[in-house]
Amino acid sequence: MIDLSKEKLIDVNNLRTYFHTEEGTVKAVDGVSFEIYPGETLGIVGESGCGKSVTSLSIMRLIESPPGKIEEGEILFDGKDLTELNQNQMRKIRGNDISMIFQEPMTSLNPVYTVGDQIMEAILIHKDVNKKEAREEAINMLRKVGIPLPEQRVDEYPHQLSGGMRQRVMIAMALSCDPQLLIADEPTTALDVTIQAQILELMNGLKDQFDMAIMMITHDLGVIAEVSDRVAVMYAGKIVEYADVETLYADPKHPYAWGLMHSIPHIEKDLERLEAIPGNVPNPLNFPDGCKYNTRCPFATDKCRVEEPELEEVEEGHYSACWHVDKLEAKKEEEKSA
Amino acid sequence: MEWKDIIKRLFTNKLSVFGIVIVFFFAIVAIFAPWIAPPADPDEPYDIPRSGWKIAPTPPDADNIFGTTEGSYDIFYGMVWGSRTAFRIGFIVVGISTLIGIFVGTISAYYGGWFDEIMMRITDVFMSIPFLVAALVLTAILGKGLDKVMIALIVFGWMGTARLMRSQVLEIKAEEFIDAAYALGAGDTRIIFKHVLLNSIFPVLIQACMRMGSMVITAATLSFLGVGAPPGYADWGQMISFARNWIIGAQGNPLTYWYTLMIPGVAILLFSLSWNLIGDAFRDILDPKLQQK
Amino acid sequence: MLMMLGPYQRVATYVQDPTQLKGGDLDVLIQKYGLDDPFYMQYGRWVNGLLHGDLGWSEAAGAPVVEAIFDRFPATLELAILAVIPVIMGGIWLGVFSAVHHNDFWDHTTRVFSTVGWSFPTFVFGLIILMIFYGVLGWTPPGRLSNWALELKNTAQFTVFTDMNILDGILNGNISFALDSLRHLIAPVFTLAVVWWAFILRITRSSMLETLRKDYIRTARAKGVKENIVINKHARRNALIPVVTVAGPMVLGLLGGIVTVETVFGYRGLGLLAYETATRLDYAGILGIAMYFGGILVLINLVVDVSYAFIDPRIRLE
Repeated sequence: MIDLSKEKLIDVNNLRTYFHTEEGTVKAVDGVSFEIYPGETLGIVGESGCGKSVTSLSIMRLIESPPGKIEEGEILFDGKDLTELNQNQMRKIRGNDISMIFQEPMTSLNPVYTVGDQIMEAILIHKDVNKKEAREEAINMLRKVGIPLPEQRVDEYPHQLSGGMRQRVMIAMALSCDPQLLIADEPTTALDVTIQAQILELMNGLKDQFDMAIMMITHDLGVIAEVSDRVAVMYAGKIVEYADVETLYADPKHPYAWGLMHSIPHIEKDLERLEAIPGNVPNPLNFPDGCKYNTRCPFATDKCRVEEPELEEVEEGHYSACWHVDKLEAKKEEEKSA
Repeated sequence: MEWKDIIKRLFTNKLSVFGIVIVFFFAIVAIFAPWIAPPADPDEPYDIPRSGWKIAPTPPDADNIFGTTEGSYDIFYGMVWGSRTAFRIGFIVVGISTLIGIFVGTISAYYGGWFDEIMMRITDVFMSIPFLVAALVLTAILGKGLDKVMIALIVFGWMGTARLMRSQVLEIKAEEFIDAAYALGAGDTRIIFKHVLLNSIFPVLIQACMRMGSMVITAATLSFLGVGAPPGYADWGQMISFARNWIIGAQGNPLTYWYTLMIPGVAILLFSLSWNLIGDAFRDILDPKLQQK
Repeated sequence: MLMMLGPYQRVATYVQDPTQLKGGDLDVLIQKYGLDDPFYMQYGRWVNGLLHGDLGWSEAAGAPVVEAIFDRFPATLELAILAVIPVIMGGIWLGVFSAVHHNDFWDHTTRVFSTVGWSFPTFVFGLIILMIFYGVLGWTPPGRLSNWALELKNTAQFTVFTDMNILDGILNGNISFALDSLRHLIAPVFTLAVVWWAFILRITRSSMLETLRKDYIRTARAKGVKENIVINKHARRNALIPVVTVAGPMVLGLLGGIVTVETVFGYRGLGLLAYETATRLDYAGILGIAMYFGGILVLINLVVDVSYAFIDPRIRLE
């Protein structure tokens, strides 16, 4: 268990990032708050379009502006509010204190420069070393991420490596300056299942080695279960449930999270059909009033269609944004006795 | 994208509206040429009438609205019938060469294999020849004249379309064929063919639009160089070849004969510009739609 | 990829027709030159001549074709080099600039110039330039050199090294000669460059716009790379790849432009020769020039292929 008494590494409060488009304003992130403690892995899970990527890009201040803008909120890191820094100051943090890796290793590396070159670039920007030392460091990093024959590979081009290897290079590049926080946006989604397992294992190992925190963003519940310490479930730009991983999986207290858990096929259960959550994610240009989940929630009442619930602590360390947790609990009791 | 949508957008983009208006204007002039500028000899409407035999051009006056060029050819007449010539050249050259290109590109991509290889090599060969020089050589052999110029332009103008069509077909071939094969069972090749053609047509149309402009420019250049339309023919490029000796102007006033150059010159520029604007707008409409995040 | 066949193949068809030499009592001549021999024999003879450096006699030039070509070549080379440099440097730089300033005032201005430039018929533009800058202002006369310079060039006091006048002027230490030559070159160079400058600008811009959308640009920013390095190091090189692809066909068009420009400005180079031979139906001449241009194109394509490998490592290793 993580030590919640330690200083928070990063504290996001009421973050709102909106995109102003010709067709209307998209409230991609609408009042999101969470914290990450040093050395822990926070999983952010949700369907496509729920705002998880935008959240991470907001932290990195990589939101394309126009049309996007961080309208409100603060991101406290290392005694500073990241929303108030200018680009020059942010650049010192990016790749250095906070690093990010992305989903598509195939296209996330520049095809015309060697792998080593790209890793060295990160090192040379943030550290006061010469080229030779940077190269040594790059080779070192390649070794740490488990790439065989790093002295050779360092001079190769991205197209000469497989998808899994490229992702390892991305990780090497991200960790080369010893960041305190690694943001991983769907890092394994584009990879084979077997490679996926390897990469996750690698990330876990490196987390301890480098003593850093990870923000793991994914839609894959299996990945979340594997690596997270705590989890935030996002839906339509908001966090709807927030708890540590075991509790969430065993005892979800928000209808959406509960629905997600239900939709995972279990080997032990004997189901005739897969239970999917009915309906679709609402159009971000046209969110419903009240609780955004009301269109698909089996427990929705009139109140849900008018008033939007805030995240509230339902038990220690476990938060849910729902008016009718009690109804959910009742349903769960019903299922248990059935 | 729906056709209706495309047309609507073409008319809202300021630049493309400008282009469309100009093309429309030229089209009107071309269609109503016999009424706007009645030919002296109905059998040879493209012969520009001469009001005399003066060597020096004369400025616009009551008789000749745009003035006359060297040899007293009426500029106004030349401009009016010149628009007809421009459209003729444009449509014939672009039309035929585009059809050739579509045909070559489609069957080449469709059949693939060594056939494709050979066709592409042939296309490469044609493409590697400097256009203007080749046109010059061809007219040297075939003789001077606008029709020979058009032949030259067609012979050396189909390759771009062929290449484009081929890559489009290849793209669709990779997708649709597989689906169609399963969905339709044996698959009706004619349906697939139609499907393929309809989807690939847009970039080809855009290219054809741009070529309307560039073909007229090249034809005008060749006429100017003297290997295209014969002297006295109503062709804008040809008229400018008359202007060559007079751009220095008369004693004391270098710009005396500006109209001999500027009037036909601006016409060619506007004609080409308008087609380019339409083609550009067309492309912009089709493009970002595909790129919206 | 080397299209050695190109010029040769076209030429083959041409050689068929010289039997149609215009009128008169040429029976004797025909016999003498074997012009009524079957086409393959004529072609064979021509290629044989080619291999021996003999392309026949050019009526228009009044000299052997080979001699005429070499005589005119340096002038055209000078013109081409001076035109290509601003086209490539200016065009690319502006294309990048325009893409980076996507949709703001500068972008729109350059786009307008680019479209208009591309739609401008070269010969009209050239004539206008001539009219204004020579007719009115007298700054840029046609031809290669003023009379005094021409006279000087033919005397013993002036050594002709390259026959590229600006260069020769400098090498001879005669700056006013070089300047005079420059004066004559500015207008044709500008006219030639405008169209292709517009073209390169447009291609570079759209390629750059696409490149800037790519994932690896986002990665570079996420690493903390400075924005101008992101643009110049990461984006530009990738954006140039499709630009290089069109470089070959662009040179093609440029060759055509050279013919027009030299004709308009009375600039005594290969382009003008092409015009003269074509209008006078000088077969040997025009064939020789076509051959020559074809050869140059093959060379350029080679250079393009090589630079491709230079820029894009994915191609290098194949």
